[in-house]
Amino acid sequence: MSVSEVASLLNQDNSSATIGHHGKVPVEHLDYGYIEKCTHTKYLEKILRELRSGEEGMYPHLIQFCEDHLRTLDPTSRALRKEQPIATAGSLPTEEWTEISQDLQQWQEEAKDYEMSRRPSAMFHNAGNENIPPIRSSGASVPLGQNAASKAKKDPPKRALPRDYSQWDTFDVDRECERIDGNVSKKDTPAVINSGHVNIKPGVDVTTLTEKDKLLLADREKDKGNEAFRASDYEEAVVYYSRSLSIVPAVAVYNNRAQTQIKLKHWHRALQDCQRVLEQEPLNLKALLRRATVFQHQDRLSLAAEDLRAVLHVEPHNATASDVEGDDDVATEDEEKAEEHARPVDRRQLAGGEESVVTPVERGDMGNAQKKPHGGHHGDGASADTNHGSTGHFRRGRGGSWDKHKAAGETPGKAANGTGKRGSTASEHGGGGGGSKGGGGSAGVDLDAPCGALPPPLARLKNEGNLLFKNGQFSDALGKYSQAITGCTDSGLDSPEDLCILYSNRAACYLKDGNSQECIQDCTRALELHPFSLKPLLRRAIAYDSMERYRNAYADYKTVLQVDDSVQAAHNSVNRITRLLIEQDGPQWREKLPDIPLVPLSAQQHRREEPPTAEALQARADRTASDTARRAEVRFNALKLEGNDMVKKGRFQDALGKYTECLQLKPGECTVYTNRALCYLKMERFAEAKQDCDAALRLEPTNKKAFYRRALANKGLKDYLASSADLQEVLQQDPGVQEAEKELEEVTALLRQSLDAGAGASPPTAKPRKKVPITEVRSATDSTPRPPSQEVDNTASINLQPADAYEFGQSLNAARSQGNAAACAQLLSSVDPEQLPQLLGNQLDGQALGFVVEALDDHLLARDPGRVYRLLRHLRTADRFTVAVMLLETAERRRVTQLFAHLSAVQSADFTKDDVLNLANKYII
Amino acid sequence: MSTPFEKPQIISHIQKSLNYTIFDSKWIPCSAKFVCLGNLARGTGVMQIYEVARGELRLVKEIENAKPLKCGTFGATSLQQRHIATGDFGGNLNIWDLEAGEAPLYSIATGSRDGTVKVWDPRQKDTPVANMEPGEGHAFNAQDRCVCAGYDNGDIKLFDLRNMSVRWETNIKNGVCCVEFDRKDINMNKLVATSLEGTFHVFDMRTQHPTKGFASVSEKGQKSTIWQVRHLPQNRDVFMTAGGAGNLHLWKYDYPAQRSKEDSEGVSMGVAGTVNLLQNVTLSTQPIASLDWSPDKKGLCVCSAFDQSVRVLIVTKLNRV
Repeated sequence: MSVSEVASLLNQDNSSATIGHHGKVPVEHLDYGYIEKCTHTKYLEKILRELRSGEEGMYPHLIQFCEDHLRTLDPTSRALRKEQPIATAGSLPTEEWTEISQDLQQWQEEAKDYEMSRRPSAMFHNAGNENIPPIRSSGASVPLGQNAASKAKKDPPKRALPRDYSQWDTFDVDRECERIDGNVSKKDTPAVINSGHVNIKPGVDVTTLTEKDKLLLADREKDKGNEAFRASDYEEAVVYYSRSLSIVPAVAVYNNRAQTQIKLKHWHRALQDCQRVLEQEPLNLKALLRRATVFQHQDRLSLAAEDLRAVLHVEPHNATASDVEGDDDVATEDEEKAEEHARPVDRRQLAGGEESVVTPVERGDMGNAQKKPHGGHHGDGASADTNHGSTGHFRRGRGGSWDKHKAAGETPGKAANGTGKRGSTASEHGGGGGGSKGGGGSAGVDLDAPCGALPPPLARLKNEGNLLFKNGQFSDALGKYSQAITGCTDSGLDSPEDLCILYSNRAACYLKDGNSQECIQDCTRALELHPFSLKPLLRRAIAYDSMERYRNAYADYKTVLQVDDSVQAAHNSVNRITRLLIEQDGPQWREKLPDIPLVPLSAQQHRREEPPTAEALQARADRTASDTARRAEVRFNALKLEGNDMVKKGRFQDALGKYTECLQLKPGECTVYTNRALCYLKMERFAEAKQDCDAALRLEPTNKKAFYRRALANKGLKDYLASSADLQEVLQQDPGVQEAEKELEEVTALLRQSLDAGAGASPPTAKPRKKVPITEVRSATDSTPRPPSQEVDNTASINLQPADAYEFGQSLNAARSQGNAAACAQLLSSVDPEQLPQLLGNQLDGQALGFVVEALDDHLLARDPGRVYRLLRHLRTADRFTVAVMLLETAERRRVTQLFAHLSAVQSADFTKDDVLNLANKYII
Repeated sequence: MSTPFEKPQIISHIQKSLNYTIFDSKWIPCSAKFVCLGNLARGTGVMQIYEVARGELRLVKEIENAKPLKCGTFGATSLQQRHIATGDFGGNLNIWDLEAGEAPLYSIATGSRDGTVKVWDPRQKDTPVANMEPGEGHAFNAQDRCVCAGYDNGDIKLFDLRNMSVRWETNIKNGVCCVEFDRKDINMNKLVATSLEGTFHVFDMRTQHPTKGFASVSEKGQKSTIWQVRHLPQNRDVFMTAGGAGNLHLWKYDYPAQRSKEDSEGVSMGVAGTVNLLQNVTLSTQPIASLDWSPDKKGLCVCSAFDQSVRVLIVTKLNRV
């Protein structure tokens, strides 16, 4: 219809409409031709009324025609509403009616039972009805209605006039406030919004109700919640669901509340509700899906994927047991879909990360492509990229087709068939064309790529068609395919496979154009040439489906599933159509189905017959490996999270189990060790805690938490020395940890106590220096192992051969905390003086310095003054030395002076008196 | 998707002719029984209790009253008590214990024929707790303590019982036959008002604009008077209207995407949704006087017409609308 025609028609309509408004409908308008062209619904309604009135005679067919036409224009038109007699039981299918009447019967019996059981409790009045206010005091306080109404009438809100400027001068605030406190507040408030949830209590007191009544009440509250949800009053809905749950905690209500919380973006609460549902029903699909949504929004993608997979384990497996591969793909596909719902997720993270298949896998992508023509192929593209390492595809979606194209090049005979094979069916309709695009990347040069047994001109036509299809120019692609088909038949080419593909491709074009009839014809032709090939079957099914010929569609989908049961779109459609057919035909719907052909075994899942190439096998193995790793990862994370949750709840025993499982999955995870150590600590199993901390420190030698927890464990084990050493390590790493400081104080106090106690009970720990036989000491050199002495017994816990700064620090601290100057002297005598500043690091403080000086003076000076001098000389260059010197206490200062006095008294070749004097100036300020 | 298979159907389950003019019928909560109120030929009132059993109606009890009984409600009772309050042509408000006996528990003389709306508290017999201007039809909402009354000049007024004031009023140009809130035990959400000439209005009661009041949508359901409107107790957005030509219309209210918006001055105002016809049937040649959904069984309803018959109807597929 041309534009001018339409315009004239509109004018005509308008003019006739005006005529119609004034008078009757002209008789010439009561005509098939006129009605058919008329698009003016109001006028059509008028014509219809005229026709129905019978003033111009009765024309039942014309009336029917007019009604049909009006229905296509405006299905809700009032003129189409007809008086209908009431339906009776007879007007329903017998099955449906039986169902209804049985349901009713059951209800009647329940109601009867309820009434019988209810009587005894009839004593309770007003229970569960918290809304009843006290009786309104009647009489004086209640103004009579006439007054209230007339008062309101005199002063209705809508007649509120703006104040004159002069009025504001005499504005009496107090009086106005009084007035507002009276009854007329409404006109001053901008708008009254009755948001429902504000005044509602989230809980209901049902103590006096029977179980049955509780169920009833809970159900009503749930209904209210559902209504509020439908009206998008999510907060109100949450309140009502909570009320319902406070009466009877039902799974369905938790589930609903979870959904509402998702709408409100309260992820954490939604998660809690989902967890509660899943605690009771671990396979509740809705809850799993909702939890997946929550996880996605919390960016915990692997958990979301796990949930989705769980859903898919329940749902598609009802029909068939499909292999793990198929499953995974489906899961990933579902994830993608889910992601499309949940926008803020990075799609590539999942698609690229999880799919490392060698071949893009059939995923029922016709169905997908219909829904989201551009989105569906990202996964394929990503996988193709990983396989071939082909980089620089400017459109990722095309990569999958490139793969197909390459396959076609290698094994033209098979790949060109493109219908049955899993590898090449990924996106056949975008097949060669897409391939050329992807392959060239720069320009679509590959149009002459060989296509099966087709002669080059035909192959070119086909490839052009594919390209056009890919670009969305379906009708142009249609032309190319048609040319190719005629070329094929004319040349008498005997290649049914190629012809089949051409028909199948043309069918895809028809399908895209919405020409279902032609599509079905082409698919049928293709199937005649090559029975049970997947693509034409699927396309025919979709075409039937769109024409609402559900029975045929059902048969085709079923055949598709026989051929390859991993086509998710077919599964979905079968489910949907089954429901539709049951509604349409009742329970005997199966009898009305056309025959579903039995697919011969040879046609089933042909991809399996071809021995996979070594490359494919390798890739598959890789994939399985990465898959297991990924699964382990997912499981590990889940376990860890569960463990953390349990710790939060104080269920340490359970958490312990979870962490142990975690460690079985992944023994190299430091945090799990520290977490488990925490559990052990809480359960007062200190030895195990210590072990875990040690393990953690082996993995991460500077883990603060591990040190802190080991300190606690040591404290629990009464090894205060080690505990304080650990705490000091913590403080050294981060001086701001106040807990550690407190613990350190406590531990030091405990240590002192235990030392005092030990001093009382056992032989003295520190030997007076007089008892050290000087000769022996002198004979001992730095490098030779020390002869076992009494000191060594006491210093068993002190490492006298420090390998690094840390161990040195620990040993020094240990000696200091024991007050064991001899041990310190030994320690100092075993280290290289030049290394001392490095070993001390920034640990030097006043007390440490004092202690070192004491040790040098008491124990080392007599033995090896040269060493003392060197030590002192290098100590001076240590970090924080000047600060430490300033912090020395008086007694310690005296000690320093004493040391230098002793030192200068010694005659040595290593140093002169002047040297000592110079050095002393540095120490004595 | 509204294929023919999805559409709710209204099915006549049981039909029973009576020997009196029936004015009102009400389900007894938590049971398969309902009460019929009417006017016997000899000028006295009658209350009958019927039980639905196996596709038939079984008469459980019959009580005769001195005056014809006009209307009744279980609105002022708890789940346990199930006392019905009835109004008769003698101007009395009676409260009956249906299990106990033949005589009312107590009765209150109100005399509503003087054309006032009075609000009674069943705990207090002597004085009405509120008393308002002439009107007919009322609805009550527990959260707000509002009473809405429609008048035969087309006025609709919303009284606030808390401070005894007119909170809102409007005029729908035709005599108001029936007003009902979509749910009585929540904060007021929607109000449907029906009129003599066959249109009805749905008001969204959540947002009240200072001058424009509540947003509303109107729909012309039928050519005859709409005597009754009843919301489905299990879904407040579905309601049935009963007309003077013996027909029933089942409607669904669809909320707009945003229930409120701001006008040019930034004041919130409501946005009305749309009303869609789900099903319509003609039951009788006489007006349908009363309609009541079962509070317990979704889709079950009882209606009475002036052809002296009571019908139990089943509406199917209500959970799919």
